[in-house]
Amino acid sequence: MSSTNHGPAIEARALRRTFKGGIEAVRDIELTVAGGEVFGFLGPNGAGKTTTVRMLCTLLPPTSGAARVAGADVVADPALVRRRIGVALQEIGLDPVQTGRELLELQCGLYGLAGRRARARADELLELVGLSDAASRRIKTYSGGMKRRLDLASALVHSPEVLFLDEPTTGLDPASRLTVWDEVRRINATGTTVFLTTQYLEEADKLCDRLAIIDGGRIVAEGTPERLKADMGHDVVSVSLNGADPAATQGALGDLPGLERVIAQTGALALYLEDGAASIAEIVRRLDREGLEVGAISVARPSLDDVFLQATGRRLVEGEEEREREEVAVP
Amino acid sequence: MTETLLLGRRAVREVARYPEATIPTLFIPLFFLAVNIGQVSKTFPSTTSFLHGQGYVAFQLPVSLMFAVATATSGLALVTEIDNGYFDKLLVAPIRRSSIILGRLAADLVRGIGAAAFVLLAGLAFGAHVESGVAGALVIVLLSALFGVAYAGFAILVALRTRNVQATNTSFLLFFPLLFLTPNFVPFERLTPVMETLARLNPVSYVIVGLRSLVIDGWDAGKLAVCLAVTVGMGAVLVALSLRAIATYDR
Repeated sequence: MSSTNHGPAIEARALRRTFKGGIEAVRDIELTVAGGEVFGFLGPNGAGKTTTVRMLCTLLPPTSGAARVAGADVVADPALVRRRIGVALQEIGLDPVQTGRELLELQCGLYGLAGRRARARADELLELVGLSDAASRRIKTYSGGMKRRLDLASALVHSPEVLFLDEPTTGLDPASRLTVWDEVRRINATGTTVFLTTQYLEEADKLCDRLAIIDGGRIVAEGTPERLKADMGHDVVSVSLNGADPAATQGALGDLPGLERVIAQTGALALYLEDGAASIAEIVRRLDREGLEVGAISVARPSLDDVFLQATGRRLVEGEEEREREEVAVP
Repeated sequence: MTETLLLGRRAVREVARYPEATIPTLFIPLFFLAVNIGQVSKTFPSTTSFLHGQGYVAFQLPVSLMFAVATATSGLALVTEIDNGYFDKLLVAPIRRSSIILGRLAADLVRGIGAAAFVLLAGLAFGAHVESGVAGALVIVLLSALFGVAYAGFAILVALRTRNVQATNTSFLLFFPLLFLTPNFVPFERLTPVMETLARLNPVSYVIVGLRSLVIDGWDAGKLAVCLAVTVGMGAVLVALSLRAIATYDR
């Protein structure tokens, strides 16, 4: 489908959605996504990612605010938006009784491609997502990764200007996740704007040109992954309190040389320092001097999780550290 | 129109590939037919005035036809798609929402024709004959299938309103009173006064009477016209409500 939109691919102004019972799922978010970008929407479960996607895809009307997608208003002209977007939602939307080829040919038909053109496009997409050999099998026999790839293919039948992917790798094994990433990069390389929601830090970091972090229905940070991490400082030293008094520990370490910021979290302190490795010895000395017995101390480069911590006061990934850490045992 | 045909073809394919959804819906009418005949054939021999020389199977056949075509299959398929996300995929496609319902109903018509033909043949095998002939048999099958489409509109409405598999599945229970508060075992005039009043208020009665007239009486334009009007009327109301439900879904 040829592009007719020369403005931003996605533009949202004060977009809000309140559900029955006064639940404010999305609160006045502002977004501008340029054409050709891979834009990430990072946040935990229940942050408002899916509600935002559903509003932008015309599946859910906003309570207030406005949004334009691929040049069309999602409320005033939803039919035009639907013609210009492709959507792969969090729930893999497939009909298990059909074969992969039948599903894609039907999808082509719904977008106005019929007969030989539909068959050719279905074959092309099956080849693209590596499902040609399974094309004649019923979808219920597909693995989770195969279903996700087919879902992705079905969102592409009409070569959309903007592709929405709502948590496209949730529940996939690492190998399938990498395959989906490759597909997203390939799709984006053809000029398609990709709006991707995820709760995986690594996915947001490696796949997205720009991202917004959403929490409690609000965008709390926005920028390129590099910029967001760079704004956090140079190194982050995490101190597991292991029962030690948080205020006393923070007091002991609060004036470390090169300290850029301290963020307290449940059971731990995150110290952002100019040179983390060089500060370890001083940290241990000070804790020892104050008689504070802490657990592990680790040093790493700031990640998007640190950006999330800075913005929300808690980590996105509890108990799962995605970065390489250099752990130092405290005597 | 194209999208309705495409979605209808898909739904028909689903019926063919998922026989375990259809076979139980055929077992119940055949079971009722066999049991009812076995229990009351001696009470109502072929000399009974309202049987016009036929066996009781001829009188019961329309009731079994109702059972065969009135299924919640489409509603269940729809609510399953709401659950698994395919419904959203269809909603976000540039098609009219009504085509999603009309496609399902097209499959119900095909399924209804098959189910009604099967039960009618079973009735013939049990000894009934269709007084109105082959043309009458075709009308019986078509009218039954149309009634199935009307009922499907109800199941789809429940599916869209509740978005719940259990609720959609049990919607069939609402059909039971409608089927039994009818002249299903004996004609209107042999019912008790209270039951007769209720049966005469129940539109399903007139569908059964119309179908029965084709089996037992031959061509009775009056009964057929009422049967057709009730079937089409019920269908129009229920399908319109379903179309409204999908038009306002998440709106």
